[in-house]
Amino acid sequence: MATQTTEPRVSERLPLTADEQALLESGTLTDRGIQARPRAYYAAMRKGDPIHHDKGLNSWLVTRHEDILAVQSDPVTFSVNKGYHEIQARGMHDEFRQYLRDHGGGYFPDAIMSDPPYHTRIRKLMENAFTAHRVKELEPRITQVVHDLVASVADKGSCDAVKDIAVPITIRIIVEQLGLDPGIESKIARWSVAVTAQISAMQSREQMLENAAQIADLQNYIIGKMKERETDPREDMITDLVHAKVTNDDGTVEKLTFEEAVSLVRATLIAGNDTTATAIGNLFYVLTTKPGMADLLLEVVDDDRRLNRFIEEHIRNEPPVRALSRMCTRETVVNGTTIPEGAHMLLVYDSGNDDETVFPDPRTFDIERPNLGRHVGFGGGPHRCIGLALARMEVKVAAREIVKLLKNIKLAIPESEITYVPTVATHTIESLPITFERR
Amino acid sequence: MGNLKVNYTDVNGNTRLLENIDDGISLMEVAKANGIEGIYGDCGGGCACATCHVYVDQAWWDKTGGPDDIEFAMLDMVADVMRDNSRLGCQIKMSAELDGIAITVAPTSGA
Repeated sequence: MATQTTEPRVSERLPLTADEQALLESGTLTDRGIQARPRAYYAAMRKGDPIHHDKGLNSWLVTRHEDILAVQSDPVTFSVNKGYHEIQARGMHDEFRQYLRDHGGGYFPDAIMSDPPYHTRIRKLMENAFTAHRVKELEPRITQVVHDLVASVADKGSCDAVKDIAVPITIRIIVEQLGLDPGIESKIARWSVAVTAQISAMQSREQMLENAAQIADLQNYIIGKMKERETDPREDMITDLVHAKVTNDDGTVEKLTFEEAVSLVRATLIAGNDTTATAIGNLFYVLTTKPGMADLLLEVVDDDRRLNRFIEEHIRNEPPVRALSRMCTRETVVNGTTIPEGAHMLLVYDSGNDDETVFPDPRTFDIERPNLGRHVGFGGGPHRCIGLALARMEVKVAAREIVKLLKNIKLAIPESEITYVPTVATHTIESLPITFERR
Repeated sequence: MGNLKVNYTDVNGNTRLLENIDDGISLMEVAKANGIEGIYGDCGGGCACATCHVYVDQAWWDKTGGPDDIEFAMLDMVADVMRDNSRLGCQIKMSAELDGIAITVAPTSGA
């Protein structure tokens, strides 16, 4: 088959130093040290080998901003469906799927992690729930939830910013929006970890089976809730999805299949929840480790324009989703690098956001960047994060309540002791002990 | 099929007169349906991504009106290419009043 070229563009590679060359040869994103502190690895790739084959991961890492944009704008050549479902329980697909059929009510492929034209109609169905204007209506309620939670720890003087604030905030909000049972929060935290771990590329067989058991438990719970809503509709997102209809190109209307609806409830519950918690955890990280950040947040908190820019720059600067998968469906040349048919690829968003050709001085936190909207923290193209307005709102409200209720926020452990969840998909702090005073 | 018209200039400067446009459809959807270069509409019309950024011809600005706060916040993320007549195409719905409107696709935010 002839090699397909998406575009003839080939941008410059610079010669690498011996250290950079060695890092590319020995480094891999499966290394937990590199996962936690990956910037030197990314920088070497961006400079000299921008679409680099990571041997440890057996995946092509797309690290320059321009190449991430090119790949995500061609969702047919670079398949999310194949990329996502390939990395899920990687190397153990059949066992994972059979486990869910035996114990979790079925194996339900992610309907939203699919390719056009199927993806287009599923996506259209989900978009209405997540517009910026609908999310704005939720702001008072989100503010109340976040305020109550931060206020409940404010007098304690210390807590774990990830486990006691970031994770409970996003879970409480999604529990309300979906219409789940109060008290289910601790289970959701475990389920989220399990779903994310399945795309981590870091599981042993035993861990895969433990995570599959959690996912089976999650599916059995949502299937039960969906059956309740079939007969007893309420004002919540589960009801919306159970009764959702999609309109095809020819104007015909059909109901979502049960399998599709289960996968979409599962995605809504987990996908945005875990990543938004990560963004709030990372906010505490920068507030406690980067000089001037807490003062800057306090300065902008009552200026909506500057606060919006602060949040967007935070997503650029510390993107919670590190990288997401594609599979190359035919041999293709991208920016001079030949990607074989069937090859797995990762779009490395936190490298794209550090691309100095797009964001000068990328490690400087600058809320006045004129091109903030160019960042790829939410991905881009037809698969751009569907819940991005809700995510922005949750992080913004969290930032506002944190700085209004807490002061002198300090890290209670040395920065070097911060550990990250072992995964190639997100950049998630496991635990962040902090001290503070009530403002 | 509707009977409204839009004069759409794409990101490369090519102008086309688009006809038979339905009442109520957004300028983002008009562009996508007609292959107007430079309009992506990634977020699907949710006013959440600024990939359907257009300039409204000054003669039509009074009729479209300016952006609300939520839309302004997204336009502000592409401040390097934002102008006084910037709007997101997804937030302007076609109507008889806008029949014949002249629209230019804004360039992509730069480096």
